[in-house]
Amino acid sequence: MKFFENNFTYDYSFPAVSLAYFLRYPNPYSRHVLTTDVIDRYVDPKTQRLHTIRIHLKKSKVPSGILKLLPKGMGGSDSSGQSYILERTIVDAREGWMETESRNMEWTGILSVVEKQFYKRLQSDEDRLAFDGLAIDKISEQTSVKTTVTFRSRIGQGKLLAKKRQDTSDIEDEESRKGFFSSLSTAGIQRTIELIGVSRTKEAVLKSKQGMNIVLERLRSGGVVGVLEGMRQDREAAFGPDGPWKRVWLQGKDRSIENDKS
Amino acid sequence: MAASIAPECNDIKEKYDTCFLKWYSEKYLRGNTSSNDCEALFKDYKGCLNKVLKERGIDTMVEDARKSGSSETDAEFLRKS
Repeated sequence: MKFFENNFTYDYSFPAVSLAYFLRYPNPYSRHVLTTDVIDRYVDPKTQRLHTIRIHLKKSKVPSGILKLLPKGMGGSDSSGQSYILERTIVDAREGWMETESRNMEWTGILSVVEKQFYKRLQSDEDRLAFDGLAIDKISEQTSVKTTVTFRSRIGQGKLLAKKRQDTSDIEDEESRKGFFSSLSTAGIQRTIELIGVSRTKEAVLKSKQGMNIVLERLRSGGVVGVLEGMRQDREAAFGPDGPWKRVWLQGKDRSIENDKS
Repeated sequence: MAASIAPECNDIKEKYDTCFLKWYSEKYLRGNTSSNDCEALFKDYKGCLNKVLKERGIDTMVEDARKSGSSETDAEFLRKS
């Protein structure tokens, strides 16, 4: 297992940052994100916290470094170049924090990537006291975010080849070891795959920050309307006026919506 | 607004998203947490979406992912509360 951690502070208030989080796609740094859907959302009546579950469909390729380590046909030509991400968030507006978790839903045996973020309103009370004399720019609201990403490869542990979870996992484990993995160190392959994930994530975390900052800037200058207008332009720039869904079903395996001409 | 995975749900999704953003920024974030202005729209949107998720087998994938994450994450989430 590998970890990646990053701390960052946005120069925006917590309400703005949490709104931008829900509004962050599309932005100019998110061309790989094809669709976003809300599958569950409710306010917990006890805590008043807002719970949201979304699915994002992203364009993604299995990195070639990882492909080389896989048995033939696995993660290769049959993969559609798209992957589903499950995202859960909890917002506590009163306490001023938001917790997010995103994970890949496929290929988790090869590499499971779980990104957790904790956004928190920065207490400015102390600042206010300390700078009471210089009242001019005391209201500089900020929001901190701590990002932790966990990488875990279970390749060679039998789960990879088990399409459906069955009680025969021991047998499959044996088979996979005897076959492909016998000559290689399972732990070594896992470590290599995890490290490839880490290096790709460093870039992705930077990009997602840049995307958030653009959305936040649009919020500041034009409010929600400004963000929506920016989105329309991003969407056209990325996919043309037809929107991204044409691409989705051209690449996807599902053919059930061919008659949709929108 | 971000597009839906199901093109036929884009219209209703856009209506729901717009409603949510308004509710979230004007009510929820200002402490009016108990209102649920967008429930009817969300129900329609979910009805449209669930059909497609089922057709493509995404619903079972989501089930699995929610379960696989729950052991560690729910405990962590609870600890915060």
